[in-house]
Amino acid sequence: MNELSRAQIRDLMAQVLKNQDKELPADDAAQLREIGFRSLDFSELALRVEDETGEELNFDAPGLRRIATVGDVLDFLVELQHQ
Amino acid sequence: MSDPADTQLVPPSSVVLVSGGSRGLGLAIVTDLLDAGVRVAAFARTVTPELEKLAAERPDRVHVGSVDVTDLRAAQAFVREVEQRLGPIDGIVNNAAVGQDSLHVHTATDDIARIIETNLTAPLQLTRLVVRRMLGKGLRGRIVNITSICAQRGFPGLVAYSATKGGMDAATRSLARELGGRMLVNAVAPGFFASEMSAVLGPTQLDQIVRRTPSGHLTDPLEVVPVVRMLLREHTNINGQVIVVDGAASI
Repeated sequence: MNELSRAQIRDLMAQVLKNQDKELPADDAAQLREIGFRSLDFSELALRVEDETGEELNFDAPGLRRIATVGDVLDFLVELQHQ
Repeated sequence: MSDPADTQLVPPSSVVLVSGGSRGLGLAIVTDLLDAGVRVAAFARTVTPELEKLAAERPDRVHVGSVDVTDLRAAQAFVREVEQRLGPIDGIVNNAAVGQDSLHVHTATDDIARIIETNLTAPLQLTRLVVRRMLGKGLRGRIVNITSICAQRGFPGLVAYSATKGGMDAATRSLARELGGRMLVNAVAPGFFASEMSAVLGPTQLDQIVRRTPSGHLTDPLEVVPVVRMLLREHTNINGQVIVVDGAASI
């Protein structure tokens, strides 16, 4: 399977935000609430990762509720690719 | 994850996918959207000469194909063709459906399964497919589900059919919530048409509906089409609604 690295996912996340004229901070501890990264932005990012890897990523909603920082997003998607 | 309101407006749809676009209301929707300058992709199990004609007249703005809505792979391939020919899809009209004309107790179990598959499972799958592509591209868009007054009022001989239409009305509301303002999701619920599926009601029942309708006539597809166009094209804040077009027959 063609897996994306954490850095590659970070680049995609930056693109999602850039399309909305927002910037992705370098700090993994940055709060999603503060940078305006919403749950549908997460969906958009997950679909972009799918596009790159060719693997469908399906997941339940409860997992998303724990996600609060940029690092959480990256960890979640890196982890999801292993499942 | 934080979720403040998304205040950006959803633009009018410019490339609209219409399922079941070869006859009746579907064909009327395709024709009307083309007249409004929209690029339209229409599929149906059988492409009728009427739909072929529209495609031949405006090859740059219409893409048609013979696809059974329950065949997800074929639908997927069709969506890719459309995107190549007309650009990314930013509007869907879930119109394809099969009717019913049998009392529940006398409907074959296979027929119940087929009605549910065509009228409920297939539009949910098609919507998932297209919404995934829209979200993946960061696009905003609009979804219109064609349901029926049967979803809200009871009519004999339409039990499974009504269940699927009620299901789509319910899905409309949840999808509108879930898509958080990136997409406007609504349903249009026509009353009975004099033609097509209304063959499911006998003349006596149709006469009774006409008598109870303040506007005095059964619904015509051309009376439904402007509502669909409005939901796809106008700047309104209508989202998660079911709009009934039945001349107040059900009120």
